[in-house]
Amino acid sequence: MSHILLVLLASLSTASTLFLVASGITLLFGALRVVNIAHGSFVMYGAYILASAAAAYGGEGWQLWVAILAVPLIVGVLGSGMEISVMRRTYGKEHLSQLLATFAMFYIFADLALILWGGSYKSVPVPQGLGGSVVIADLAFPVYSLFVIGVTIAVAVALAALLRFTQFGWQIRAAVEDPELLAVTGVHVRRLGTIVFGLAAGLAGLAGVLIAPVQTIAPGLDASVLVAGFIVAVVGGLGSISGAAVGALVIGLGETLGALWVPALESVMIYVLMIAMLSIRPSGLLGRS
Amino acid sequence: MNASLLKARSLVKRYGGFAAVDGFELDVVPGEIHSIIGPNGAGKSTVFNLITGLAKANAGSIEFAGRDITGHAPHDIARSGIICGFQVPSVLPRLTVLESVVFGILARRRRYSQLWFLHRRRLEVEARGILEEVGLDTQRDVESRHLSHGDQRTLEIAMALSCDPKLLMLDEPTAGMSSFETQRITRLLQQVSRERQLSILLIEHDMQVVFGISDRVTVMHMGANFALGSPAEISAKEEVRAIYLGGGG
Amino acid sequence: MNAPVEAVTEPSGAAKSSTLGPILRGLVRHRTLAALVVVSIVCTAYGLNGDATALITLDNALILVLFSVATNLLLGYGGMASFGQACFFGLGAYLVALGWANLHAPFWLMLVAAPAVGALVATAVGAVALRLQQWFFSLVTLAFSQLFYTIVEKAYVITQGDNGVFGPMIPRALTEPITGFEFVLGVTAICLVLLLAVVRSPFGLTLTAIRDNRRRVQTLGINVYRHQVLAFAISGAFCSVAGALFTVPNQAAYPQLFDWNQSGLPVIASVLGGVFLFEGPVLGAFILQYGRDLLIQHTSHWQLAFGLLLLAIVLLAPDGLLGAAYRLIGRSARRFLSSGVWRRAGWR
Repeated sequence: MSHILLVLLASLSTASTLFLVASGITLLFGALRVVNIAHGSFVMYGAYILASAAAAYGGEGWQLWVAILAVPLIVGVLGSGMEISVMRRTYGKEHLSQLLATFAMFYIFADLALILWGGSYKSVPVPQGLGGSVVIADLAFPVYSLFVIGVTIAVAVALAALLRFTQFGWQIRAAVEDPELLAVTGVHVRRLGTIVFGLAAGLAGLAGVLIAPVQTIAPGLDASVLVAGFIVAVVGGLGSISGAAVGALVIGLGETLGALWVPALESVMIYVLMIAMLSIRPSGLLGRS
Repeated sequence: MNASLLKARSLVKRYGGFAAVDGFELDVVPGEIHSIIGPNGAGKSTVFNLITGLAKANAGSIEFAGRDITGHAPHDIARSGIICGFQVPSVLPRLTVLESVVFGILARRRRYSQLWFLHRRRLEVEARGILEEVGLDTQRDVESRHLSHGDQRTLEIAMALSCDPKLLMLDEPTAGMSSFETQRITRLLQQVSRERQLSILLIEHDMQVVFGISDRVTVMHMGANFALGSPAEISAKEEVRAIYLGGGG
Repeated sequence: MNAPVEAVTEPSGAAKSSTLGPILRGLVRHRTLAALVVVSIVCTAYGLNGDATALITLDNALILVLFSVATNLLLGYGGMASFGQACFFGLGAYLVALGWANLHAPFWLMLVAAPAVGALVATAVGAVALRLQQWFFSLVTLAFSQLFYTIVEKAYVITQGDNGVFGPMIPRALTEPITGFEFVLGVTAICLVLLLAVVRSPFGLTLTAIRDNRRRVQTLGINVYRHQVLAFAISGAFCSVAGALFTVPNQAAYPQLFDWNQSGLPVIASVLGGVFLFEGPVLGAFILQYGRDLLIQHTSHWQLAFGLLLLAIVLLAPDGLLGAAYRLIGRSARRFLSSGVWRRAGWR
C-alpha cells in the first residue's frame, strides 16, 4: 500500500513536467495551427542554461534560485525571437514550409547546443532546501517531487485563469475557434502570435528547469522530450489544455506502472500507449473527433 | 409519390450546446431538381456536410437509393452515387481541365490505384465528351487554377458528371457569379438534369436561381423544416419572406 | 473567359533551328529520364576511374539518392512529411547484417527480402501514423523512428545492441570497390526507374491529387487513407532497399541508422534539391553527401550549416535549388517550359 503511494507520487512528478511540455505544444497548435518540432529544443535549452548557471554560481545559494526563475523567461524570449525571425515568414506559405522551417530550427538549435555546451553530460544539483525527503505517515516523500508537482499545479491554475479571465486569454481561445474571424476583429494577430509562441517556449523552458536536477542533460534530450510531449498531447487530445493534463496523467502513470509490471517494456511503454491510442481513438481521450 | 431517392429523417447535429440541425427531414425524388433555401444560419451547410459524410449526425437517418448511408465515410457515400460541389469550387489546381475529368473517370472505374502506366487515349475521348456537354472542351489544356470562377464551377460539375452520379448536390453553385455566369450555370443544370435524368439537390441563397429551375423547394429555418412546396407555392408564402427579413419563426 | 494557354510552340531565343527545337522539347518532356541517364553516365565515368575511398563516398551518395527519392514520394508527391523513413532504411541494413550474423542466409535472399519486409512493416506503421493529419502524422513518424532505434538498441541478444553488426556480410565479389559500385549504381538506377513509373501512373496522379485537395478526392469516391497507406508501403519498400545497399560499401549496421538524424537526411536532401521534382532529391542527395564530407574536414558543425541552408531554402526558394534553376532557365524560354516544368505527376 505504501509502496503504491510512492509510485503514484513519482508518476505525478513525471506527469507534471510532461504536462508543461504538452501544454506548450497544444497551445501553439490550438492558437496558431503550428506544430513546432523545435519545442523539445526549448526544454533542452532551459536545462542547459540552468546547468551553466549552476556551474558558474555553484549549486547552492540564491543565485540558483534566480536562475530558476529567470531561465523560463529567457527561453520565452528565445521563442518569441524564433517566431519573429522565422515563423512569421512562413505564415503565408504552404503548411509543409512551416513544418520544415521548425525542423530546420530543431537542427540548428541542436548543433548550437553542441557549440555552446559541448557533447558531454551536464548535471544540475537539486536546489538547496529541496533535497531529501519529507516524512509523512511513515513514508518518505522526496521533497523535490512535491516541489515539481506544486509548481506545475500553480502554473496550470495560472494558465487556466489566463485563458478564462483575461482579454489575452479570450483572444487565444477565439483564435483556436476561428482564426479568420479573429483577424477581422482588428486584434493584433501578429503580436498575439509572438506572445503565444513566447508563452509556449516559456512553459517548455520551465519544464527544462524542473527536470534538470533529475535528468541527464545531454544531446538527444530535445528529441526525446519532443516525442514524449507530443505523445502526451496526442493521447490526451489535441487542441485542449485539459487534454494535455489528462494525457500527462495517463502517460505518467502508464510509464511508471509499466516499468514496474513489465520491466522489459519500460523504454518503449510510451510508444505502446501512443500506438494503442491512435489505433483506437485518434482524436485522443478528450479530443473532438 | 415516387419512392424517394434521398431520404433524411429527424437529422440532428449539435456543435457544443448549439443544435445547427434540429430534426430536419428531406425527400428528393428521382429526376427532380430540389432546392433547400433558408436564411443565413438556418443550417443548410450543415445538412450538406451531413449528407456528403463530411460530418456525422448526432441523431437521425439518411437513406439513399434504399440504402442507409448515415454516418458513412465520404468516399463511401460518393461511391453510392452522391457527388457534390462545394461553395468555393473545389478542383485539383494543378491538373488541366481534361486531366481533371479523366481523373473523375478513373475514380469511377476504380483504376486510380493502378501502379503501372495507363494508356489514356480512350479515357480522354470519354472525357472530351463530357467537356463538350458542359462547354469546356476548348479550354481542356488550361490548368484548373487558371480558370475563371464560373469555369471552375463548370469544371466541378464536369468532374461530378464523370463519376456518373445518381444525385448531384451543389452548395450555393452561383455564389459570387455575375448574372451572365449564373444563367450559364442554371441552364447547364437544367440541361444536365434533363438529358441524363439526373437528380439535383441545390443549397441556394439566390431566390431567382431557385425559383427558376427547381421542381420543389424545402425551406429551412433554425435547423428545422419550415415549408415545402413548388416554387410558386413557396414564393407566395408571406412567412417565408418574413424569416428572411425578420428572423422570427 | 481566360484565353487558353498556348500549346507548346517553337521557343524563341537561341534554339531556333528546326532540328534543335524538337530535341529540346523532347528533353524537357522526358527531362527526368534524361537527367537520370546523364547522372548515371557521369557516375560511371567517375567511378571507373576513382580510387576506393572516392568510390565509397559515391556509393553512399547513390544510396542517399535512392533513400531521398523514396522519401520524396511521400513528401513532395504526397504532401506527407515523414520523419521516420529511417525505420525502413535501418530495417534493410539489419536484414542483411542479421541475415548474415544470425541466420547465415545469403546476401541475395536478404536483398530481395528487404523491400518485401519493408513494405509490410511500413504498412503497419503507416496504418497507425496516417490516423492523424499532416503535422501530427510527421511527429508520429518521428516517434516511430525513435521507437525502432530504442528497440534495436535494447534487443541486445538479437541485434548486438549498441555495438552494431560488423563483418563480411556481403558476397566477396561486392567487396571489390568497382564491382560494388557498379552493383549499387545498377540497383539504384532500377529502383529509380520503378519509382518514376509509380509517380507517372494513375496511382501517382491520385497521390498528388490528394495532396492538392484531399476533400475533393474523398468526395469523388476514393479512400484517401488506404491510398496513403499504400504510398507509405511503397516508400518503405524502397527505403529498405537503400538500407540493404548500405551494407555494400560499409559492411555494417548499427542502431543509429534508425534514429531521427538518419530520418532527417532524406528530407533535407529532398528539400534542398526540390520536393516538387522527381530529380530534385537526386541533386539534393549529392549536395548533402559531398557537402557534408567537405565540411567535416574543416569543422564538426556541418549540421548547423545544413540547418541554415535548409531554412534558407524553405523560406526563400521553396521549390529547391533545382526548381530555382529550372525557373531561371525558364525565364529565357518561357512558353517552351510552361506546359512542361510545373506539371506535377504529369502524364508524359
